[in-house]
Amino acid sequence: MTFEISTSEDGMIRLAIRGELDAVSVSDLRPELDGLVNRRPRLVQVDLSRLRMVDSSGVGALVSLYKRVRAQGGAVRVIGLQDQPLAIFRLLRLDRVMTDGDGVPPVPVQSGSSQN
Amino acid sequence: MSINRLAIRTELSTSPRYTENPSPGYPLRKTWRPATEVIRIELLGSLSHRDVALRAVSAACKLVTARPFGPVWNDFQMEVVSAFGEAFNNVVQHGYRGNSEGLIQIDVRISSGRIDIDLSDWGLPFDPKTVPVPDLDRLPENGLGLYIMQSFMDMSYRPGQPNVLTLSKTLRTGREEPEIGRKTEGEE
Repeated sequence: MTFEISTSEDGMIRLAIRGELDAVSVSDLRPELDGLVNRRPRLVQVDLSRLRMVDSSGVGALVSLYKRVRAQGGAVRVIGLQDQPLAIFRLLRLDRVMTDGDGVPPVPVQSGSSQN
Repeated sequence: MSINRLAIRTELSTSPRYTENPSPGYPLRKTWRPATEVIRIELLGSLSHRDVALRAVSAACKLVTARPFGPVWNDFQMEVVSAFGEAFNNVVQHGYRGNSEGLIQIDVRISSGRIDIDLSDWGLPFDPKTVPVPDLDRLPENGLGLYIMQSFMDMSYRPGQPNVLTLSKTLRTGREEPEIGRKTEGEE
């Protein structure tokens, strides 16, 4: 599992997670999520388009992120779900609350970030 | 006790089955395969061995059909691997409570269109009936593993020494996934 966190000029934080987010790798991500929450973001976009596999431990970490950001008045949007992660999100009905609207974007939308 | 091993063993049963050519257009291929194959894997009850176990189970899913591709099989493999991964996590985190010297024995039984996985451990048992069904509307962060297991596969559990958790799944057959050729001895 690898991840990348970037911030766009409008304050949106983009978190891209790749590979496998599971009981083994989630411990690497949790401190980063804590730091991300402490920044009190307005919007966190979680790009899972290159996430190959997620388990209940990984889902738990993402739900925790979602709840904590929401509790601060922010929002979390998951994009790019496909294959196994999409099946898990659908099973746990997370696709309805953590993605935009009815559909799941097949590919990540452009964040519009211009910091580069 | 100090165990530091990973062992993989395959057992073949006696009655054969024939696997026919995997798809139209392929050269005709008839391969003798046993009716049931058992792949036994012994490894540590440690998260560091999780990936090895998952890859073995993932690969074993290819053996249930002569046509291991297409959306139906993809879903089958994905659900088996997802459920098995949760079962492995449970043994490591709850059965052995992080004591990575415990042993996990995995028996994967492969037959035509079906996989059965026995996961044996010598740790603390649990009672699946006492594990509450998660209230998904409340967005739980924990307690989802058993729900994923039971949603994706048939599950049974027998506490003891060892505790044996069995996960089973039959490959759904559809138009795009015709049943594989299977003949008994003497037909050929």
